[in-house]
Amino acid sequence: MRRGLVFAIVASLAAPALAGAGGAAGQARATGQARPPGQGKLELQPGLKRARAEFAEGRIVEAAQLYRALAEQHRSVQALLGLARIQSGVGDARGALDVLERARQLAPNSEEVLGAQARVALAARSPVIATRALEALARMVPSVMENQYLLGVALMQAGDMPSGAVALEEARKLEPNRALTLVALGFAYNGQKLYAEARPHLLRALEIDGTDVEALAALAESEEGLGELEAAELHAKRALARDQNHAIANLVMGLVRMKQERYEEAREALEKAVKTDPTSAKTQYQLSLACARLGDEAGQKAHLDLYTKAQKENAERLRDLQGAAGTGRGGM
Amino acid sequence: MRGFVASQDAKVLFRDIRAEAGITYAHHSAPEKKFISESMSGGMALLDYDNDGRLDVYFVDALTVENAHDPRAARSVLYRNLGGNRFEDVTDAAGVAHPGWGMGVCTADVDGDGWEDIYVTNLGPNALYHNNGNGTFADIGAQSGVTAGGWSTGCGFADYDRDGDLDLFVSRYVKLDLEHLPEFGKGGAGMVKGSTGRGADCQYRGVAVQCGPRGLPGEGDLLFRNDGHGRFEEVSQQAGVSDPHHYFGLGVAWFDADEDGWLDLFVANDAGPNFLYMNQKDGTFKEVAFPAGVAVSEDGAEQGCMGVAVGDYENAGRFSIFVTNFAEEYNAFYRNVGTYFTDWSFRTKTAPSSLPFVGWGNGFLDYDNDGWLDIIVGNGHVYPQLDQAKLGASAPYRQRRLLYHNRGDGTFDEVAQQYGPALNEPRVSRGLTLGDLDNDGRMDVVIADLDGYPLVLHNELADAGNWLLVKLRGKPKNTSAVGAVVTLRAGALTMKRLVRSGTGYISQDDKRLHFGLGAATKADWLEVLWPDQTKTRRENVKANEVLEIRQE
Repeated sequence: MRRGLVFAIVASLAAPALAGAGGAAGQARATGQARPPGQGKLELQPGLKRARAEFAEGRIVEAAQLYRALAEQHRSVQALLGLARIQSGVGDARGALDVLERARQLAPNSEEVLGAQARVALAARSPVIATRALEALARMVPSVMENQYLLGVALMQAGDMPSGAVALEEARKLEPNRALTLVALGFAYNGQKLYAEARPHLLRALEIDGTDVEALAALAESEEGLGELEAAELHAKRALARDQNHAIANLVMGLVRMKQERYEEAREALEKAVKTDPTSAKTQYQLSLACARLGDEAGQKAHLDLYTKAQKENAERLRDLQGAAGTGRGGM
Repeated sequence: MRGFVASQDAKVLFRDIRAEAGITYAHHSAPEKKFISESMSGGMALLDYDNDGRLDVYFVDALTVENAHDPRAARSVLYRNLGGNRFEDVTDAAGVAHPGWGMGVCTADVDGDGWEDIYVTNLGPNALYHNNGNGTFADIGAQSGVTAGGWSTGCGFADYDRDGDLDLFVSRYVKLDLEHLPEFGKGGAGMVKGSTGRGADCQYRGVAVQCGPRGLPGEGDLLFRNDGHGRFEEVSQQAGVSDPHHYFGLGVAWFDADEDGWLDLFVANDAGPNFLYMNQKDGTFKEVAFPAGVAVSEDGAEQGCMGVAVGDYENAGRFSIFVTNFAEEYNAFYRNVGTYFTDWSFRTKTAPSSLPFVGWGNGFLDYDNDGWLDIIVGNGHVYPQLDQAKLGASAPYRQRRLLYHNRGDGTFDEVAQQYGPALNEPRVSRGLTLGDLDNDGRMDVVIADLDGYPLVLHNELADAGNWLLVKLRGKPKNTSAVGAVVTLRAGALTMKRLVRSGTGYISQDDKRLHFGLGAATKADWLEVLWPDQTKTRRENVKANEVLEIRQE
């Protein structure tokens, strides 16, 4: 569920990197027959100009063929970037990442290449690739807020909340009043159970935009963690007033009711949360406890099974990510 | 809410008296900890082995992979308390120096002869040192049938079947073949089929470290039933406590969770769900940790559970559970609300301060004698390599202790940093034991260190409240009165304490029960509920004495 939010934030921020491609792709599909590029060796600059024109006119297949040919003939980074843009626009994220990796080999310190690689990787939910690109970018140009922000989000996606929070704090220093950064920081701290650290950022985010449902839900989560049940309930209810199916807000309501030993209401809230996000191990676990308290042994077992399944899938995913990134959490 | 409040200005609480006490023991461990077996040892016991009324100390030492074939390379040490905070090394005369690759320890009078025996868990066969009553011990593990084998860690004696004699539970950890150990930072040999053998199991935040326990095969746990004639029968499967999934077992706590008069069993599992075995009163147990709410964290995350403390911190008449965990996981506080538990870790305010630390030995103690149980935790990482890596949020290899002062309203303040080096000098703590070394009514703490000298923390709080120390002498064959519960009323407070074998992280606390009485100069009454459910009552008991009660 928290991961869902992170992905949503990333997707919204990654969108500019793909700008134009999706719409053009749609047009390309509508134009039908593609024209092959000219035979023989292409001149680089005229070729790039022609590819951009084809792309602008919605002839995506032709543009891609031109970029591919130029990339092969001239080892052109610009051609590879153009090709990757098209591939990510038509949903071929894996192909785009392969092309961008080739571009990175040709121009390892290109901000444009690293930025594109990071954005495509984030949108494709490949946080390890994104993290590597963003770490390089953040080293090269540490004063760019967005690099630090995206690095924080990528690290959170990879399950490394502590490092994610460090990068997000850097982003906050560069632009203190950016609500997206503040909310992401709140999630990074909540994810580490550092509720007292999360709360001021979320309160500030709500000062900037008092209707931000994610900030409200995250604040409710912090307050519940701090044992401030009345405040948690108030903010969860405000979030639910805007989105009655909000998974975190419903989970917080469930947790509050569990602590108040109002188990029927807890179960009701947790069932709503699990409907929105059935993969949340935490919600399934709490729901199994609510059932147990109500003497519903079958419900307890059913949700315990769902919890176990979600837990296993999450652990495997995290293990793969951490294995790929070499950031294992160790054993104990 | 509190009857007596210790001064917040008192800055002297514990002082490390190890050197002046004559304790020269230092725990052995390989400096780099390339293998998991080199990180887990460090159990210790406080016991009165010679029945002189003074607490003696036994430290369990460990081998390393390099010297694993030379059992004499490690020397566990028994110190006799001479009084006046002086100790004498009596190990060689006692014959308890070389139990094997030592891990943990628990004690009890196993044969009911009135003398406390010592059980040592090992990587390899365990030892049961029978106390001969003349200052010497004899290892009768093999003839008693309790050597277990494999890698044992936690242990605890209890009369789970209420037949009058003490049975034994042993938790086990990882199945390890010393001839085929996984390669440091990489894995390979010894890893579970299907495990990567690389990456997450042998790396920590990008740093190459020892492998495991994740990715290594675990070992089942063992319950030994005492036949009353000097032999134990392994009944784990019949009793339903064999751990068929082979989780990584560590801390053990026998206590009556549901107050039905039968001892239940909590087992802390590292990197897996904990067990809560409810006694079915017919020689079997039902595992209920998930529905009871003590298996995992509030998030449903399996934590790296190490030590287990059990105590009635609210003076509500129920025993709650406090479990120490790995770094970036909070120490779990499971509040007993009657028929189940709730995760009260954040509500008690104990969780946030625990997040950076790897917690091990722990215990409830009333360090200021105000009638409310406080908490102490020993910390220290498992990866020395952390100190070479800059890992931001992670705590370093050596870590300070945590001391939580009970506010009497269900919450705690973490106060260790008020109290100087005894609690704040960075260490690699493991076993932690609680007891009154000098019988002055103030609870002392001894903490084993994986990499060297222990801490012997003498309680010197100037304005501590009144107290009572209750020593129970049960009927044979449970003269240690393991499982007995004492309820005491003093002023507005009703306190409850339990005699346990096997405490904290694979260690053994003083079995005498300590009550802080605050300003009260007497206990209005106290009642002993013996393991056989008979009761003994005393009224108007004068404060500030060691009170021995014998079961009639």
